[in-house]
Amino acid sequence: MNIDNARGLKASLLENVMESFAESSAVRSLGIRSQKSDPGKDALRTMAIGISGKGKDHQLAIRLQRRSLEDHPVLTKIRKQAKGEVDIKYVGRILKLETAAKLQKRRRPLVIGCSIGHFKITAGTLGCFVRDRSTGEILILSNNHVLANENNAVAGDAIIQPGDVDGGKKSTDAIGNLRSFVRLKKTGKNLVDCAVASIKQGIKSDQRKLGTFGNLAGLGLEVLVDGTQVRKVGRTTGETKGRVTAFELDNVVVGYDIGNVRFDDQIEIEGAGSNSFSDGGDSGSLIIDKDRGAVALLFAGGDQGGSNNKGLTYGNPIRVVLDALKVDLLT
Amino acid sequence: MTESSPLDRARAAKAHAHAVFSKLGDVVGVGITTIGSKYGLKINLASPLPTSTELPTEVDGVPVRVEVVGNIRKQDSE
Repeated sequence: MNIDNARGLKASLLENVMESFAESSAVRSLGIRSQKSDPGKDALRTMAIGISGKGKDHQLAIRLQRRSLEDHPVLTKIRKQAKGEVDIKYVGRILKLETAAKLQKRRRPLVIGCSIGHFKITAGTLGCFVRDRSTGEILILSNNHVLANENNAVAGDAIIQPGDVDGGKKSTDAIGNLRSFVRLKKTGKNLVDCAVASIKQGIKSDQRKLGTFGNLAGLGLEVLVDGTQVRKVGRTTGETKGRVTAFELDNVVVGYDIGNVRFDDQIEIEGAGSNSFSDGGDSGSLIIDKDRGAVALLFAGGDQGGSNNKGLTYGNPIRVVLDALKVDLLT
Repeated sequence: MTESSPLDRARAAKAHAHAVFSKLGDVVGVGITTIGSKYGLKINLASPLPTSTELPTEVDGVPVRVEVVGNIRKQDSE
């Protein structure tokens, strides 16, 4: 059919067919169900209708988020009206991505990946929630340079969400206090850049959700070799995917405000496709494997290198981080 | 005596590779990666070397790949 016919048919179907099928479920969704629910009708709001190309011509396009809709009577009616010129595809569940813009806003409950920081720094990322091995208290995990201002902080200092650069204020946005950190050493080797903060009473948190990737599954792969697929949710670049390019990396020289700091036994990652895996503000992000197991804590990066030349990202192995802070993942 | 594994050989060559490449340029990381079908070393440099520089292709029998990665920075927001 030509484009005008496709547009006309789409409008007609939306008005006459979809509305009549969906009407009863839409009404029910506002109140207590007084009659048996029809899952087929409820599911209609997960069906999208549009137009797609067919050679030089056009056809109606239907996209389904539920397989159960493939047998729904509304589709029989649509096929009939479109005289078979319809492209129906199951696309799976479509979720709202945790975009960077949302992660930079004030988030209550607190979420993994949101903007956070010691009140004197710009902003970093809330990595995840952990449990203190001796007290059982639930704490926030991120980097030393995010929660402890590169050693220039004391336990009890205010942690704000969002971070200062995202508009967070100590007076109104303090969500917890620095609890402890591993000091960054200017000489000799470091293994981790990490710190934990307490959460103020009354501040709620969504402790397991990793954006649209799903819930944190626990500790991930112990041996992380090159080629391993990884992901993260971070304050600046949001949800990204990448792959490990090198492991057990020694003599990694990282620039801090306190000067160059050397790290041993690190993990190197490149972004997937044409994207970088991380950027400034993603420090503190938890890096997970494809099964949502935690593998590393993101802390540094550069803007050169990688097969797409979008720069490389560096992470501390998560088991070393957890042992150094004497905490366990909350899963 | 048992022979060491390719991974162990790569681990053992890291310090020597760092010393070798530090004489040629600004090394900002030495790690393990797969080169061809075996474990090798990835040498990260902060800046490119003059094109006339002769780079070793292996250290202690372990293959080496060199990449210019620029300066690495902490990733808080700028």
